[in-house]
Amino acid sequence: MTTPLATLDIQAPIATLSLNRPDARNALSTPMLAELRARVDELQARPDVTVAVITGAGKAFCAGMDLKAVLDNNELAHQLLVSLADLTLAIRALPQVTLAKVNGAAIGGGCGLATVADLCVTHADSKMGFPEVDLGVCPAVVAPWLVRKIGAGRARAVLLRGGLMSGTQAQAIGIADHVVPTLAELDGFVAAMAQRLSAGGPEALRATKSLLNTIDGSLDREIVRRGAQLSASVLATPEAQQRLRAKMG
Amino acid sequence: MIRVEDVGAVRTIRLDRSEKRNALTPRMLDEFVAAIKTSTHARVIVIEPVGPVFCAGFDLSECRDDAGALPSLLTGLAWATATMRASPAIVIAAAPGAAIAGGCAILCGCDLVISTPDSKFGYPVVKLGISPAVSAPLLSLAVGDGAARARMLSTDLIDGQAAHHLGLVHELCDTPEACAARAHELAATLIDKPSTGLAATKSWLNEVDGSLAGNTIRLALETSLSLVGGEEQNERLAEVWSQKRDSEAAKQRDREEKK
Repeated sequence: MTTPLATLDIQAPIATLSLNRPDARNALSTPMLAELRARVDELQARPDVTVAVITGAGKAFCAGMDLKAVLDNNELAHQLLVSLADLTLAIRALPQVTLAKVNGAAIGGGCGLATVADLCVTHADSKMGFPEVDLGVCPAVVAPWLVRKIGAGRARAVLLRGGLMSGTQAQAIGIADHVVPTLAELDGFVAAMAQRLSAGGPEALRATKSLLNTIDGSLDREIVRRGAQLSASVLATPEAQQRLRAKMG
Repeated sequence: MIRVEDVGAVRTIRLDRSEKRNALTPRMLDEFVAAIKTSTHARVIVIEPVGPVFCAGFDLSECRDDAGALPSLLTGLAWATATMRASPAIVIAAAPGAAIAGGCAILCGCDLVISTPDSKFGYPVVKLGISPAVSAPLLSLAVGDGAARARMLSTDLIDGQAAHHLGLVHELCDTPEACAARAHELAATLIDKPSTGLAATKSWLNEVDGSLAGNTIRLALETSLSLVGGEEQNERLAEVWSQKRDSEAAKQRDREEKK
C-alpha cells in the first residue's frame, strides 16, 4: 500500500487535514493536490465537524509547488496550477472554520494555503512568504487570497518584494493571526484554539463564514482560474525556466 | 522642478523644489507624468525629494491669481497616480519628512513606500473647501476603506509610525538619507529579479485589486473638480490669501521698525 499524500483525521467536532509528503517538505505535486482535494471534499460532507486544522507532516508546512515534474511541459504546469486554484476555492468554500497550523516553512503556494484558511497560527521562527518573483514566477493564484487577507496595499508590497519572513513578521503584516514563541508550544496552542472555536454554534459559524465569503468575493472561481493561466504562461518564459532549473540544480 | 536620472534599469525622479517643501505646481506635475511615461527602459522608478521633505502638497499660491491652476493641479495629480500605477516599472518612494494631501496621493500611487517614523501624513484640505476625493480610490486600496475615510474626512495629520501601522508606509528608516539609501537598495534587488514575472505580478495585482478598473479615478477627480470655483472654496481660499497678506504686511512692518 502506498503512503497517502494527504490524511484526514476526524475527532468530531475537530478534524485535522495533513499534507503528508514530509520527505519533499510537503511540496504540492499534482497527485498530492488531488488527494488533498479528495480529503477536502470528504470534509465538505461532514456536518458533524466544525473546525478543520490544516497542517504539514514533518518539519515543513509546505515548501510550495513541486515544479520539477512539470518544468518542461506547459500543459502539465497549467494543470498543476489549476489544481492549486481549485483546491484553494474548495478550502475556502468548506463549511468548517479552517485553521492553518504553520509548523514550519510555508512558501509560495504553501503560504497561499495558509492564507486561504480562515485563521493562521505559526511560531516565531517559521519561514513564510512568497518568493515567486525571485524565481521569475508570478504568484497569480495566491494574489487574490492575499489581497483579501491583508489588504491590497500590503499584498502588493509583500508579493513584489518577494523573499521570506519569520512568523513574527508574518503576524505583523497580517498573514498570521497568532504567533507562539516556539514550535514546542504550537500543538498545544492550536489544540486549545480549535477547542474554543468548536464551542461556537456550528450554524452561526457556517452562516458567518458564508456571508464573509460572499462579501469579499472569495467564491469568484474565474479570478483564480485566470491566475492559474497567467502563472503558467509566466512559468514558461525562458527567464523563469532558467532560474528554476538553477535552483533545482 | 523635476529631475530625472537613469542608472541602468533604475530611473530616479527627484522632486526638486526644496525651498517650497516640494509643493506641486501644474508644470511640476506635467513634468512628473512625463518622467513616468518616458521611463520605458526603467524596471524600477525611485521617487525621492531634494531636501528633507517629500512633498507639502499643492502650491496653492499658484491658484491665487490663476483660476485654472487648481483644476490643472487636481487633473495632473489624478493623471500622475494613474500613470504610476499603470507603469510596468515598480515604483518606490523614499518619502521622509512629510507627504501632505497631493504628496500623500502620490505615495498612494507607489508600489512601495519608505519613510521616517516622525514624518507627517494626511489631508488637511477640507478646511480650505478642497475635496481630497481625487486620492480616495488608491488611498482606500493602500490602507483599507475605514482608515481612508478617517484620513480624508479629518484634517489631522498622522506620523510615520502610524502610517506604517496603517500600511500607507511599508518600511521605516531613521533619517531621510537612510530612506533614500534603502529605496535604492530595494531597487537594486528588484532589478535583479526576472523582469517578466515582476511586471506580470504588478499588472495582475492591478487587476485583482481593481486599481485602474472602471472609471473610479475619473469619478474621484470629478468630485474634487466639482467644488472648484464654488462659493465655499472661494471664500475659504480668499481667507487664506488675506491671512497671507496680513502676515506678509506684518513682516514688512517689523523689518521697517528694525531699520
